[in-house]
Amino acid sequence: MVGAFDFTPAIPLLPFAAFLVAMLVGHFAPRLLPKGGAIPGILATAGSLLLSIWTFLTVSGGSYHAQDIYTWVVGQNTFSLHFGILVDPLSAMMLVIVSLVAVLVHVFSLGYMNDEGETGLPRYYAGLGLFTFSMLAFVVADNLLMAFMFFELVGLCSYLLIGFHFREPGPPSAAKKAFLVTRFGDYFFLIGVVGILATFGTARFVAVGDGVHSFPHLAEQALAAAGGEGTMPEHVAHFLDVIGMNAETWFAILGLLVLGGVVGKSAQFPLHTWLPDAMEGPTPVSALIHAATMVAAGVYLVARMYGFYALLPTVLAIIALVGGFTALFAASMGVVKDELKQVLAYSTISQYGYMMLGLGTGGYIAATFHLMTHAFFKALLFLGAGSVIIAMHHNEDMWDMGGLREKMPVTYYTFLSGSLALAGIVPFSGFWSKDEILYEALIYGAGDSPILLAAYAMGLLAVFFTGFYTFRMVFLTFHGEPRSDTARDPHGVRWNVKLPLVVLGILAATVGLVNMTPVAELTGLHIEYLHQWLVIPEASDFAALGYDNYHHLLEQFAGYHAADIGPLAPGAVSLALALGGAGLAWVLYNVDSPTEHTEKLGGVKTVLYNNYYQDEYQVWLAQGVTLPLARAADTFDQGIVDGVVNGVSSVSLFAGSRVKRIQDGLVTHYAALLTLGLVVLLVAFGLLEGWF
Amino acid sequence: MAVAVEYYLLLSAAVFCTGVFGVLTRENALMFLISVELMLNSANINLVAFSHFYGNATGQVFSLFVMALAAAEVAVGLGIVLVLYRNFDEVDVRNATTMRW
Amino acid sequence: MLIEALIAVTLVSAFVVMLAPDEVAGKLAFALSLLPVAGSLWMFGQFDASGNALFESGNLAFETTARWISVGPYALNWHVGLDGISMPLVVLSTLLTSLAIVSAWTPIQERQSQFYSLMLFMLASLLGVFTALDFFVWFVFWEFVLVPMYFLIGIWGGPRRKYAAIKFFVYTNVASLVMFIGFVALVFALPVQTMDLPAIAAALDAGNFQTTYGLGAETLKVVAFFAMFLGFAVKVPLVPMHTWLPDAHVQAPTPASVMLAGVLLKMGTYALLRFNFTMLPGVARDYAVLIAIFAVVSVIYGAMLALAQQDLKRIVAYSSVSSMGYVILGLVAYNVYGLGGATFQMVAHGLISGLMFMCVGVIYNVAHTRMVGDLSGIADKMPVTAAVFVAAAFGYMGLPLMAGFAGELFIFLGGFSATFPYAQLFTALAMFGIVVVAGYLLFAMQRVLFGPFSADTDYDIVPAAPHDAAAIVVLVLLVVVLGTVPEVFYGMIQDAVNPMVDSLPEATAFLTGGEL
Repeated sequence: MVGAFDFTPAIPLLPFAAFLVAMLVGHFAPRLLPKGGAIPGILATAGSLLLSIWTFLTVSGGSYHAQDIYTWVVGQNTFSLHFGILVDPLSAMMLVIVSLVAVLVHVFSLGYMNDEGETGLPRYYAGLGLFTFSMLAFVVADNLLMAFMFFELVGLCSYLLIGFHFREPGPPSAAKKAFLVTRFGDYFFLIGVVGILATFGTARFVAVGDGVHSFPHLAEQALAAAGGEGTMPEHVAHFLDVIGMNAETWFAILGLLVLGGVVGKSAQFPLHTWLPDAMEGPTPVSALIHAATMVAAGVYLVARMYGFYALLPTVLAIIALVGGFTALFAASMGVVKDELKQVLAYSTISQYGYMMLGLGTGGYIAATFHLMTHAFFKALLFLGAGSVIIAMHHNEDMWDMGGLREKMPVTYYTFLSGSLALAGIVPFSGFWSKDEILYEALIYGAGDSPILLAAYAMGLLAVFFTGFYTFRMVFLTFHGEPRSDTARDPHGVRWNVKLPLVVLGILAATVGLVNMTPVAELTGLHIEYLHQWLVIPEASDFAALGYDNYHHLLEQFAGYHAADIGPLAPGAVSLALALGGAGLAWVLYNVDSPTEHTEKLGGVKTVLYNNYYQDEYQVWLAQGVTLPLARAADTFDQGIVDGVVNGVSSVSLFAGSRVKRIQDGLVTHYAALLTLGLVVLLVAFGLLEGWF
Repeated sequence: MAVAVEYYLLLSAAVFCTGVFGVLTRENALMFLISVELMLNSANINLVAFSHFYGNATGQVFSLFVMALAAAEVAVGLGIVLVLYRNFDEVDVRNATTMRW
Repeated sequence: MLIEALIAVTLVSAFVVMLAPDEVAGKLAFALSLLPVAGSLWMFGQFDASGNALFESGNLAFETTARWISVGPYALNWHVGLDGISMPLVVLSTLLTSLAIVSAWTPIQERQSQFYSLMLFMLASLLGVFTALDFFVWFVFWEFVLVPMYFLIGIWGGPRRKYAAIKFFVYTNVASLVMFIGFVALVFALPVQTMDLPAIAAALDAGNFQTTYGLGAETLKVVAFFAMFLGFAVKVPLVPMHTWLPDAHVQAPTPASVMLAGVLLKMGTYALLRFNFTMLPGVARDYAVLIAIFAVVSVIYGAMLALAQQDLKRIVAYSSVSSMGYVILGLVAYNVYGLGGATFQMVAHGLISGLMFMCVGVIYNVAHTRMVGDLSGIADKMPVTAAVFVAAAFGYMGLPLMAGFAGELFIFLGGFSATFPYAQLFTALAMFGIVVVAGYLLFAMQRVLFGPFSADTDYDIVPAAPHDAAAIVVLVLLVVVLGTVPEVFYGMIQDAVNPMVDSLPEATAFLTGGEL
C-alpha cells in the first residue's frame, strides 16, 4: 500500500524542482516563466505542504519512519556515509511549519517583489526554492552529516538571498558577513561531525533495524559504562584510548563543537552579529530565513540530537546560560532601534535565546513549542513589517511612520496579534510557550541545578524588555499621528499580502492552545497535546527520540530533578513583567507625537545603539588582526621564503660572474690550470693511497 | 744488451716536462704546437718502451695511432696558426683572447 | 595496448596540430583532444582492476609490459597499467585538457598551432606519468612534462614570464634531482635487477638490503624517504617550497594555469602517494607528526597568504597551496578515508581549481585586469560568469554536494581517526582553513562581482563568449556531479588504497568494519 512515507522524499524535492525550473527557464526563456517563477514556486511548496500535512497526519496515527535513501559513500573496511529520512513527531511538525511558511512567503513575494517591479525575479524564486529544499532536507535528515550538509546549503541560500540586491553596496556586504560568521560556527560544527563519526562510526540520530547504531545511544552506553554499568562499545573505547580522554570530557567537547554551528546559525551570542545586518535582504526573505526557518535550524538541531545533549550536564548548562544571556542581551538592544526590521531582528535573536534556554534547562517540549509558535508569529511580524514597508515606499524608519492603524487595518490587527504573541500576553501563542520555558528553567533550577537559576533570571528580565520594545514598535508604527507624507498617504497592498497575514495572524493567536500547561495543571484536563505528541511509546523503535526517554536521560545523566513548584505563580510573574513592559511603552509612546525617550538613558543608549560594540570587535578581529597578519605573512613570504629562493639564484649568478673570469681566453693560462690540476690530483691520490 | 726500461721512462719524462715548460712559457703559437708534439711523443716513447718490456705489440700499434693523431693535430693546429697570423699579423697566443666570458 | 594507444593518439594529435595553420589550430586541437577524452572514458567504463598497482595482490587494468633496454644489470621495461588511484587522474587529465584548450580560444592569439600542440604534448606526458609503473619510464615522462609547461609560460606568459618560467623549471628540476638520487640510492641498495616499481615495493617490503652505503638500513630508508619527499613536496607544493607557484600562475596564460593547478600539482601528491607512502609506510608513520606539521602550516599559511593578495590569480594560486596541504594531511593519516580522501581531493581540487582559474581567465579576457581593486559589480554585465564564479568559489569553500566538500570531508574523517600523536588536534587546526578560504573568496566576490558597477579598465565589460561560458558551466556541472555521486571515483580509489592500509595496521587500528 502506498502511504505518506513513500512520498516524504518528494517534500524537499518539489521545491528543488521549482529551483531548477526558475533557474533554467529563467535563463533560457524568461518569458515562459509565469510571474518570474513565483507560480512554480507556489505550486511546489503547496505540494510540499500537502504532503507534509499527510505525513503529519500519518505520524499522529502513531507510525514513524526511518529509511536510508541513498548511500553517498560506501565505505570499504570503514563506515559508510548515507542520506536518509527520519520522520518522527519533531520532524513532522517542523515539516509542516517550514512548508507552510514557505508557501505563505511565496505568496507574499507576489506582492512584495512582483508588484513592486523588481528585476531578477527568477533568481529570487530560484533562491527561495533552493532554500526551501535545503531546509526541508535538513529537517528530515536522519544523520548528523546529512544535517550538516543541508545546514551549509541553507547558509549558501541565505548568502544568495541576502545579497539579492547585489548592485547596491550594502546587501553583498551583509551577505558576506552572514556567511562568514555562520561559517565560523560551522567550522566547529564540522569538527564535531567529524569527531562524532570518528568516535562512534555513525552519525545516525536513531537506530532502527538490525545492525545499525545511533550515536546518542552509543554515547549513553559509553557513559553508563564509565559509571560502571554495562560495557563500553568497543569502537568508542578504542577511540578514547587513542586520544587519551575519558568519555565524559570528550563527549562534552563534541557537544560543544556541534553547538558552535548552532550558535552561528541560530544567531546566539557571540555569533549573533550577522542577523541584524541580514535585514538587507528582501523582507519576505527575512521572514522565511531569518525568522521562521534557517535560524530555527540551529535550535532544531539541538532538539534533534537531544538524546546526546541530555547526557551532558555541562553542555546543557552552557546552552542554558548562552540562551538566557542572549535573550536578555538582544532584547536590551531591541529597545533603542529606530528601524522596524531591526527591532524584529533583535527580537528574533532574543527569542531563539529563549529556545536555547529551554533546551538547556531540560525543557525539550517547551523549546519545541516555542520553536513552533515563534515560527508563526515571527513570520507574521516580518510579513506585516513587509506590508508596512510596501506602504511606506521602502522607508523602514519608525519615526517616519505613525497612524497607520486606520490606513491598513488588516496589517494592523494581524501585526497586533503577532506582537501580543511576541510580548507574551495571555492567551496569545507566545505566552504559553515562553512561559513554559521559564517554568521549566525554574523548576529544574530550583531542583538540583542552581546554575540554571541564573539563566532563568536573565530570561525573566528579558520578558520585560520584550514587552517594552514590542509595543514601542507597535505604537510608533501604527498609533499616534502620521509623521511623514508617505505615512499620511501610504501605498495600498493587495490580497497577496493580506492573505498570508491573515493566515498567520490567526495561527499566532491560537496555536498556543495546543499546550496550555498552566490550564492543564489547574483544571486537571489532559489538554497538553504537544506534550502527548512528542511522547513516543516505549515499544516503538523510535522510543529513543521520545520525550520520556529524554526525561529519563536528563535525570540519570544530567542530574536534572524538578522542584515541586506550581505553574501559576511563575506564569503570573512573567505575565506581569510582560504587561509592565507593554504598559511602559503605552505610557511613553502611545501618544499623538511621541518623542525619543531613549535620550534619558545617556551613555547607556550609545552602548545599546552600537550593539555593545560587538560588530566593532568582530570587524576589528577580521580587519585589525587577521588582515595585517595576512599582510605580514605575505611580506614574510615574499621577503624571506622567496628571498631565500631568489637568494640562491643570485648567489649562483654572482659566483658565476666571478668564477668565469678564470676563463680569460689566454691559452697559456688554461694550460697552466690544466697542469696545476694534474699536480693537485697526483698529490691528492698520492696522499690518500699512501704513495709517499 | 737491452737498455733498462727506467731509462726510457726518464727520457720520456724529460721530454714531457720540456713540452709542458714550452706550453706554459712560450708565446709563439708555433712553439706551442711544437711543445704539444713533444708531449705526444713522450707518450709514444712510453708506449714503445712498455711494449718492448712486456713483449706485447699492442703498445707499438697504439704509438702508430698517436702519430696519426699528431699529424692530424698538426694540420689543424697549423690551420689555426695561419688564421691567427692572418688576423693579427703575428702568431702571439696572447692576442687571441676573444673566446672568453 | 590501450594506454599506449591513448598516449600515441595524443602525441600524433600534437604533431598534427603543430603543422596545422593558426586559424584552425584551436578548433582542431579541441576536436583531437576529444579522442583521449573518449578513450579515457571508455577505459573508465571498462575498468576492471582491483587492488593497488604496487602490491602483488593488485590486479591492473590495461597492463602491458615489454622489455625495453638494459643498463648494466638493470632491465628497464616499458610497464604501464592503471589501478583505482591512477584511473581517476587519467580521466581528470584528459577532461581538463580539453576544457583548457577551449578556454585558450579567446586569450591565445599568437603562434596558436604551437600553443595547442604543446598542450597536447603535455597531456601525453601526463598520461605517461599517471600510467607508468617502471621508474625509468615514469621519470622520463615526469621530466618531460616540464618542457611544454616551460614554453607555455615562457612564450605566452605575462610581463615577467621569463623569470617565472625559469624559476618554475629550475626549482622543480632541482627537486627532481634530489628525488632521483634518493630513489636510485634506495634501489641500488636492494637486491633487484629492475626499475619496476611493484618489484621495488615488494623488495622494500621484504627489507633485504644488499648494501646501505655505511648507513643502517633504517637510516637509509629515512634518508631516501626525505630526499624523495623534498623532491615531490616542491611539486605539490608544500610550504616553504611553494614560492615558484604564485609566480608561475600569475605569469602563465590561463589555460596553462588551469593545467598547472589542475593536473601538474597532482603529480607531486600522486608521486608522494605512490613512492613515499606506499613503499616506505614505516618511515611515513615514524615521521607522521613532522609531516602533519608541514601539512597544517601549508593549509593555514597558504590561506593567510591568499587573504593578503589583490590579484585574483594570486588568490587562487595561494589557495591551491592551502588545498594541497589537505592532501598531505590525508596521506599522513594513513587510513581508508585519509588516503582515499587525499586521492579524491586530488581530482576534486583539480576540477575546482581549474574552474577557478578559468573563471578568472574569462573575467581577464574581457576586462584585461585581474586586480580586485580595479573591478566592481561586474555581475551586472557578466551574469553567467558571475554565477559560475560564485558556484566555483563556494565549491572551493567546500560547499556540500560539490566535489571539494567530499574530498575535504574524507580527509578530515581520516585525519580525525588517525592514530599518530595529536592527529585530532592537527586535523582540527587544518580545518580552520575552511574559514579562511571563505574569508578571502567572499571578500574577493563582494569586491569584484557585487556592488555598484565600475571598472578601471579601457575595455568594455561585456558578457563572456559562449564557448568560454560553456567551458566553465560544464566544469561546474562536473564538480556538482562528483560531489553528489563521489562513488564514481571513490569506490575504485578505496579499493586501491585498502592494501596500503592493510600494510600498516597500527595506523588504522579502528575504523574497520561496515557501519558501526
